[in-house]
Amino acid sequence: MNGPVVDSRTFRIGFLAALETDDGAFVAGLLVTNRYGRPLEFQCTSPVRPTHAQKLLYGETLRPFLLGELMGRALLDRLGSPPDLLVTDNDDILDLRHHIAIPMARVEPLADEAGSATTAPPLGRVRMGRRILSIHSAHETDIAALHHGATQVTAETDLQEPLERVRQALAETLQGQQTGNPGGPRS
Amino acid sequence: MPPRVDTRAVPLHLDVQLFSSGLGAGITRPPACHISPQPLIATPRLLPPWQPNWPAMKSIGVRFPDASLCESDGSEIEPSFDAIDGGLFCSPRTSTPSRPSKDNAHTRVSVPAEALSISDRLFYLLQPPIETLLSGQELVMPFEPFPFQYHGIAWLFSQGSALLADEMGLGKTMQAISALRLLMRAGQIRSVLLICPKPLITNWQRELQMWAEEIPVIAIEGPARRRRMLWEMPNVPVKVANYELLVRDLEMIGEDDFPSFDLLILDEAQRIKNRDSQINHAARSLKRQRAWALTGTPIENRPSEFVSLLEFLGAVPDHSVNDIRQLNRLARTYVLRRTKDRVLTDLPPRLDRDELLELTPAQQTAYLTAERDGIVRLGELGESITIQHVFELVLRLKQICNYDPLTGESSKLERLAAEMEEISASGGKAILFSQWTKSLDWMHQKLRHFNPLIYHGAVPSSRRDAVLERFRRDPDCHLLLMSYGVGAVGLNLQFAGYVFLYDRWWNPAVEDQAINRAHRIGQKNPVFVTKFICHDTIEERIDQVLQQKRELFRAVLGDSEVSNTSLSLSAQDIFGLFDLKTGQGDQLRSITPPPAELA
Repeated sequence: MNGPVVDSRTFRIGFLAALETDDGAFVAGLLVTNRYGRPLEFQCTSPVRPTHAQKLLYGETLRPFLLGELMGRALLDRLGSPPDLLVTDNDDILDLRHHIAIPMARVEPLADEAGSATTAPPLGRVRMGRRILSIHSAHETDIAALHHGATQVTAETDLQEPLERVRQALAETLQGQQTGNPGGPRS
Repeated sequence: MPPRVDTRAVPLHLDVQLFSSGLGAGITRPPACHISPQPLIATPRLLPPWQPNWPAMKSIGVRFPDASLCESDGSEIEPSFDAIDGGLFCSPRTSTPSRPSKDNAHTRVSVPAEALSISDRLFYLLQPPIETLLSGQELVMPFEPFPFQYHGIAWLFSQGSALLADEMGLGKTMQAISALRLLMRAGQIRSVLLICPKPLITNWQRELQMWAEEIPVIAIEGPARRRRMLWEMPNVPVKVANYELLVRDLEMIGEDDFPSFDLLILDEAQRIKNRDSQINHAARSLKRQRAWALTGTPIENRPSEFVSLLEFLGAVPDHSVNDIRQLNRLARTYVLRRTKDRVLTDLPPRLDRDELLELTPAQQTAYLTAERDGIVRLGELGESITIQHVFELVLRLKQICNYDPLTGESSKLERLAAEMEEISASGGKAILFSQWTKSLDWMHQKLRHFNPLIYHGAVPSSRRDAVLERFRRDPDCHLLLMSYGVGAVGLNLQFAGYVFLYDRWWNPAVEDQAINRAHRIGQKNPVFVTKFICHDTIEERIDQVLQQKRELFRAVLGDSEVSNTSLSLSAQDIFGLFDLKTGQGDQLRSITPPPAELA
């Protein structure tokens, strides 16, 4: 599958991250930005707490299902317009790629980049801005989208930073729910 | 002996009858077996099925508005332009590459305390670091801001009401422009009104052109009819006007019909320090969503001036009375102040020196005569003396210190000429401040060979920019003669390396402001400041009083806050400059300021 044809004027990047609370609930958030990191849209879920039966029956597939297929897809469905590339730093969320057509990439931890500043990343990995991103092994055609994305962002762009913003926003929404703060628009 | 037990014999013989049951034959007979098929269960029965049942997920969504500043007119965008999101922000690439941001420099916008709804809080939390916004290609910056300026921009971005009180020369203008630019880009504001002193209008236009060239700006000026049209003109993001014009036009148009603005900025906001002034009333009556005040001197004389600013910002109700602790608390929320010694450790130093001079013989004669006669006259006034009388004598004596009106002799001028010989020989430029335009005009004649330029109130506004531009560009112009009144605020003259204070102002804060025209961001060399003081004159006595005050405040507040405190001379100080006495013989007593003037 070829990479998506995108207009550089409207290149949108989605950042998908999740938090697990102390009582075993999960919240996920999706931030869509333009190629300079300026926010365009944000969606986040209410906490989802799997039951004991669900934990037993899903086993190791619980987190990929919950974070990716269930919450990730729901967030994508609620967006006004989809992003051209989805970025995450969570392997469980990366499994969402099996259920959607949008190319996905994972931000590699900085430790994995040792020695890679001046050498080309290995196959399946692309340097975008200051980070190296990798694609899902079962969707190798996403590499084309990554290469295109690398031409859209500046060399100083840090694609990990928006994920931190998402987690901060999720923590804020959790805190707001605990204190009973009035919420914003709900979809 | 055991009791006797009666007994009775019972026969055990039982009658038995036998009969035939057929059981015997049944026991010997083999059992009869019958085989019949039984239906088996084809499918196992299941318990009620279990299906994954996830509750319907609720979500919170925030859409970020996109600013539309320059509507596309359908013309082709030049390849060198970056059109973002459909041509909304047309920012040309500059040939000056900006310095790369530091790797870990992430100045985040803070969530304002008044943001209560989750969507409002998320709006601020999800903003990228200021360095990312400003160092990328989306918003081109001619120079990279200093770290403290990033912080100031982020702070302004999240403040609905703000008093940016950085010391003069730290870039309040740039921070305000960058913050309003980001707010526009984020779709939070669409209309801005900037009010400043009249001499600074062109300065602001220049700064806006430099730091936000994509934002259309108009200056409200011209005949009344034109001004009304400009006030009412829609789709102009930034309008600039001066304080006096605002007062006039507010009356002309009427408060109810006056347009409202998303953001109101007051530059040199100490102009509204007097709560009862027309300017203060006009500023407070403007309808706006956000309000910022910019001033390097939020308190020039009294804490009530700071309260006036807080009232303008809406931080306190009108005519409120606040004690120092309350003001401190409010300052922590609404005020951001940094001083050069704390944040600009790389700025070249400012080197101050007091040049103590002896009066020339002619000056000495004139001075002593004037002082003696003046003190006698003040003594004769007795109880009817006012501070104005003392002022007049002080000013007369200071003028003689500048030059003798009869002979034109001046020790200050001699010293200045000697200094200027060296400065002009080395190609340097100097600014000289005086409180009298007459003195400046006189010096202009006397120092012709240095090609001095004049910049004071009598210079028409239309010519002032040309004067500054010539001073900047003409290598043969080495001296700029300025009055404190027009030259002390807002101008950028950091290409001048020498500052002379020909005569001193009453308030060191104003002197600092004047000096900071040269000693500010962008200055590459040390700035040498020379303050002329005539020995054994009123000037020296004033200087000593101010030094004592400065030491006192430094002892109480510390070094960095001295410039921000009330250091001007009080009525008591001014009366104390002369040993004024009234009466005769045993009735002789000192004259003190009237009670009304001690307030």
